[in-house]
Amino acid sequence: MTTTLACARVRVLLEAYVDGDLAVTDMKSARAVREHLVGCADCRRQHEQAVSLPFRMRALRSPAPPESLIASVISSIAPAPTASRSAWGLLVPEAILGAFILWYLSGIDGLTALTSGAWTDLQRLAFWGSGGSPLPSIPVADVLLLSAFIALTALAAYHLSVLARLEQSGTHQLREHRRA
Amino acid sequence: MHAQAAADSLPMTGTPESRSLAAGQLVQQATGGDLDAFEELVRRFQRRVYGFAYQHLRDFDEAYDLTQEIFVKLFRNLARYDATRPFEPWFWKLAANTTINYRRRRVPTPTDQSADHALTGTEVVLPAHDPALVDALAQLDPAYRLPVLLHYYADLPLEQVAQTLNLTVPAIKSRLHRARAMLRNTLAESEETGLR
Repeated sequence: MTTTLACARVRVLLEAYVDGDLAVTDMKSARAVREHLVGCADCRRQHEQAVSLPFRMRALRSPAPPESLIASVISSIAPAPTASRSAWGLLVPEAILGAFILWYLSGIDGLTALTSGAWTDLQRLAFWGSGGSPLPSIPVADVLLLSAFIALTALAAYHLSVLARLEQSGTHQLREHRRA
Repeated sequence: MHAQAAADSLPMTGTPESRSLAAGQLVQQATGGDLDAFEELVRRFQRRVYGFAYQHLRDFDEAYDLTQEIFVKLFRNLARYDATRPFEPWFWKLAANTTINYRRRRVPTPTDQSADHALTGTEVVLPAHDPALVDALAQLDPAYRLPVLLHYYADLPLEQVAQTLNLTVPAIKSRLHRARAMLRNTLAESEETGLR
């Protein structure tokens, strides 16, 4: 025995019928829909629409994402560039050390004293090496000067590495910008 | 801003190693702070995510903002991903939630910003591939549009759509059936209007 369905009921069941779900859950209704479709042109058109819709949705095209999207996402998540600030901050201790060295060496007197002092220290060191005199005492100012030189060299090396990194990241950003 | 929107091919800049990795491996590397791995992940998903956002919002700028928000959220939540489970359902759940929140915050815009509207200035004119369907989708309630886009557009299987939206598979099926019936009715109405 077959069940007669009204068009409104058929149209409610169409998607489940098209997917094959209706045949699994309610075979009788599925058969009734099939029979209704044979005799109803309007519902057949709706059925055709229901069959084609999933294909149309899968075929739907969207605009491609703008090329700047990836760069924009990466720049949103990358840590804020603090390197440039630390690069400028390094100038302060470098300037203090440089000023100290310049002050120490300022004037011909200071330079002469440094040269003669270094020469005397070397002579005393040579005598100490040959066992002719005790280990010479080094003036505190010379120790400070040497420390300042070492510190300045280390700072300058670190500063250069920071600058090199900044240049690299700048080049990377420029590349990304060009790509965008 | 989006003059390049029609460009189909994007330059491949990720490392050759990262390009050959599965999404799960890329996520693991990105969780460890590897930005190249994350960039590759974005590259792989950007087209589908942008398309999904665009079909949902139908506005280039908003689709761009939403896509960016989804990826930023992904990066911030990478540590929460359970590597023993498939990545895509987890990711699309995050994308769907971000989309829902984005819509809530969004200032309503006129609905005339359809895909086939001509953009001014340097922007390109993008004719809609299936304007009737695009319009019908736009009229669909977001609660129905989201599963439709996840299943038919993002190509997620029903099980993954169900996981993404915290619903059962039969519930998703039923929602998709109703959504398709509504789309069908809208398309029939627009055809009738066009014939008159």
